[in-house]
This record gives sequence, structure tokens and C-alpha cells, in this order.
Amino acid sequence: MRNDASANRVAVPQRKTDRTFWGRLANWTPYRSLVQLATASPRRQFWVLASLPLLWVLSQHLGPMLQMVRVSLTDAYPVAVGVEQHFTFDNYVRFFGERIFWQPFFRTLTFAGVLTFCTLILTYPVAYFLARHVSRKNQMLMLLLLLIPFWVGEIVRTYAIMILLGNTGAVNQALKWLGLIDEPIPFMYTSFSMGIGIVYLTALYMLLPLYSALEKLPKSYNEAAADLGAGAWTRFRRVTLPLTLEGISSGCTLVFLISTGFYATPVLLGGPSTTVFSETIAGFFHNAGDEWPTGAAFATIMFIAAIFLTGTFQKLMQALRKGDTK
Amino acid sequence: MNRGNRILLACSYWAFVLYVFVPLLLMILMGFKDSKFIGFPIRSWTLDWYTGVFSDGDVVSTLGYSMAIAVLSTLISVAVGTWIAVLLEGRKFLGRTTVFGLTILPALIPGIISAIAFRIYARWLGIEPGMGAIVWAHAVHNVPFVALVVMARLSTLPKSQIEAARDLGADPLITFMRITLPYLIPAILGASIFCLLLSFDDFVRSFFLGGYEPTLPVLIFAKLRSGMSPEINAIATVALVLTAALGIWAERFTRRMNKDSKT
Repeated sequence: MRNDASANRVAVPQRKTDRTFWGRLANWTPYRSLVQLATASPRRQFWVLASLPLLWVLSQHLGPMLQMVRVSLTDAYPVAVGVEQHFTFDNYVRFFGERIFWQPFFRTLTFAGVLTFCTLILTYPVAYFLARHVSRKNQMLMLLLLLIPFWVGEIVRTYAIMILLGNTGAVNQALKWLGLIDEPIPFMYTSFSMGIGIVYLTALYMLLPLYSALEKLPKSYNEAAADLGAGAWTRFRRVTLPLTLEGISSGCTLVFLISTGFYATPVLLGGPSTTVFSETIAGFFHNAGDEWPTGAAFATIMFIAAIFLTGTFQKLMQALRKGDTK
Repeated sequence: MNRGNRILLACSYWAFVLYVFVPLLLMILMGFKDSKFIGFPIRSWTLDWYTGVFSDGDVVSTLGYSMAIAVLSTLISVAVGTWIAVLLEGRKFLGRTTVFGLTILPALIPGIISAIAFRIYARWLGIEPGMGAIVWAHAVHNVPFVALVVMARLSTLPKSQIEAARDLGADPLITFMRITLPYLIPAILGASIFCLLLSFDDFVRSFFLGGYEPTLPVLIFAKLRSGMSPEINAIATVALVLTAALGIWAERFTRRMNKDSKT
């Protein structure tokens, strides 16, 4: 490249741009012809820019999902030597046939729904307090304080809950010390410990959308309602709540989708009576007789159910929002 | 709003702070307990679990392995995510909404489903379980976050700067390298740190795509399945300190960058 630049210098009088890296690059003949080739027409320029992202999202974002659906419709995968692969719906039929399959599925959806609601109830006052009753400067600090634990990974936080709720854990020891109980309460390996753990992991995904929705809401709206004689409860129900529905809807969607996908937390905090669907799905990939197509079919069922439920929920919230602003 | 309400709300905030901090603090404390049994009360203290962890070659190499995966996958996500953001932001074309939807798809798929979809796809592509597969899965999973953050920053870039560069004869690539990219640096750095944390903390994808060598969360999970011990607390605390420190540093750093660009 240096040779070329000096050759250039002989040919044309020295320009200021020849001294910088970018100037030399711009005047370098191979680079110029390449750029000219790429930007010959707006259409070509667009395709040069768009081809890699399009290729990436189609092959890497959509590809795995499509491949999963394809595998779920076959009877053997990975295909062993000498075995022929057939098209079949059996994997889907199997789901409805056995209780040990569909029970965890409905349990997971119920859990996720209930936990999403609990998270909403738990974090709404927190977000409200931060957005409404704290000065601008302290808001960031107090929010940051809550962010710190959420940078810590899923496994570490699950373990922290195990220590908190174990038979010799902090909660049981504290209750014993207060004289409220004699025998430790078996919190662990129940839906209670699992719920505490999952809410612990997802609370922030609810808190942040709620906070940003509440923060955008002008204080004057509430003051106007108060001037018109509305009490605190009415103001909340008729002004604040309807105007933060968007934050509620995105927070709930996020938390619901995330809670359905947990695997390690139910394994560590749950027991035999709280088997969730992700454990059922994972089972097909771990056992000696790998049944990947069935696992793929179950994952597809779960994905469709989760997307359908959150989609319906969002539509509902949208309708509610429209009805209120009329 | 009356006083009673205000106090009630403040209580809810501080109760929430306790809820998110106390379990982690208890976990850290337990790592200093001089006994093999996890549980309160703690009667005597020790640092043995920590010296044990750092002299254990397995744990140290696992830590390095997790970090290498985080760095490699972040580099890929940042490059691809930025490229996608440049394509999508402020440009109208047929199917833009579809491309946007596909871009954020990996962030919306529940963890277990995404993990097994990657596992099946890796098998189909012929990628063996192990470091390559984990790096690839983390990279794909993190692209949406980079794209969203960079798009937000890109939307505030004054168009006049680009036009000025073009009028002065810069071609699109040089305009991007000298005008757009420097403007995007704070967003790109913020997104990279987020990606590093996501990758370092990720369990489910590493678990399903990993070979024999575990990442740090997978190692902790495996140890937990064979029983609790203060040794795990020490390992978990090391992971916690690393991630929290990186997060706090990133927060301060991005805030300073934003202040600088405003003035």
C-alpha cells in the first residue's frame, strides 16, 4: 500500500489527504474501484449493505427454529446409519396421550401466569415510588442499587435462594430463634421455593418497563384529577393505571416468556411434584435413548403456546388501552 | 399524595432491596464458614474455601474458559448487531418490519427452547458440542440486544453530519468509519458489556451445547447436584464479584460517555 501511495505521489501533486490513513485509503486505486463497484447504483448499494444481515437473520435466527420444527415432524433424528427417516405426526400425538407429558405443560403455563401476576403486584409499588417520590438525582442511584444483583447469573442467584430457604437456612433459623416454630418448615423442593426463585430472577424485567412508563407520565395529570376532586384510589385507578398499561403489558410479556424457559432453577429448587415442561423437554435430550424428534415437537408446542398466550394478552391490553382513551 | 402512602411506598422499595440483596449476602457469608455443612448459625470463620478454589486448577481453567467464550461471542454479536442496526435504522424498504422481527426473535424465545433449537441446528451444521458451539449460540442470542441499543443511539445521530461528509467527497464506507462509528462507540461499548455479562452468566445454552469442559455456571450446577458445600459459595462469590464489578464499571462508564457527548 505504501508503494502504491508513493507511486500516486509521483503522478499527482501531493495533496493534504495523502498524509492520513483514510486519505491514502480513499486514493488507493483497488479500494476506489471496489467502492465504485459497490455503489454503482442505489440498488446495488442497498444489497451490499443488506445481504449479510439478511443472510444472518434467516440462517441464524430463523434457521434453528425451522430446523427444530422439521425434526419434530420426523421419526428419527440424528439419523443413524441404515435407518430411514419418515415424516410423521406421532410426536405431537404423543403429547396429548400421556398425562406425564401434558400435566407439566399446563403446570408450567399456570405457574408462569401466576408468577407474572405476583411479580407485577410486587414491583408496581417499587416502580411507582422510584418514579414519583424520589428526586431525579437519587432515582438513578436507587435504580442502580437494584440493578447490581441482577447482573449476577441465574445459577448463583438460584443457589442463594437455596441457602435462604433450606432446612438450616436463614428463614428457618430466624423463625426458630423468634420461637415461632420448633421444627424447620420444609420450604425447599416445593412450588413455593420455585416461585420465590423465579420471581427473584425475573423481577427486574417487570420493574424496568413499569418504571419507564411511570416516569413518562406527567405529574400534572394526577394533580388535575385531584383538583377535580378525585381521591387517591380513584386517581390511581382512572389515571395512573390506564396510562401505564403499555408498561404493564410489555413487562408481563417479558416475564411470562422468561419464566416458561427456566430449566436450572426448577431442577434445583423444585421437587418431583413440581416438574415443569422444560425438564420434560430436556429429558428427551439426556437419556441414553435420545428421542430428539419428540423433544423438538414438545418444544414447538411450548413455543407456539407461549407466543399465542402473550400475543392474545397484548391484543387484550391494546383493546383495553383504546377503550380507555376514547 | 398523603404522607402515609408515601411511607408505605418507601417501605415497599426498601423491602424489595432486602429481597434482592439478602440472599446474595447470606450466600457470600456462608463461603467463610469453617464447617462443611451449609446452614446457620456460623460459629467460626475461615478463608480456606477461597484458597482451595484458587489452588484448584479446574476452577481456574473453567473461569478462563468462560471468559474466553464471553469475549469471542461478544465480538461476533457486536459486529453483526451493529451491521443490522445500520441497515434497519432510518431506512425504509420492503420487509423491514419482518427483518426487524427476525432480528429480535432470539431474545423472545424462552431459554430452554432456544437451547434445544441451537442443539439441533448445531448437529445439522455438523458443529460438535464444545467451545465453538457455545460461542456461536451466545453470539446469536446476544445480537438482538446489540441491534436494539445501537439503533437507539443511531436514531439520534444528526443527518447533517453524514451529508456534510458525503458532500466533501467521502464514500459511504469512509463516512461510516469516520462519522457514524465514532458516534456509536458509547452504545457499542455498553452493549458489549451487556453481552459479556449475558454470556458469562448463561447456563441453559452452555449446558446443552457444551462438551466435556464446563463453563462456570455449568460447573456450579454440576457441583450443586452432588450436594451443597461452602466451596460452591466461594466459587459463586468469585463469579458474583466479577459480574457485579463489570456491571458497575460499565454503568459509570456509559453515564460518563453520555454526559461527554451531551456537553
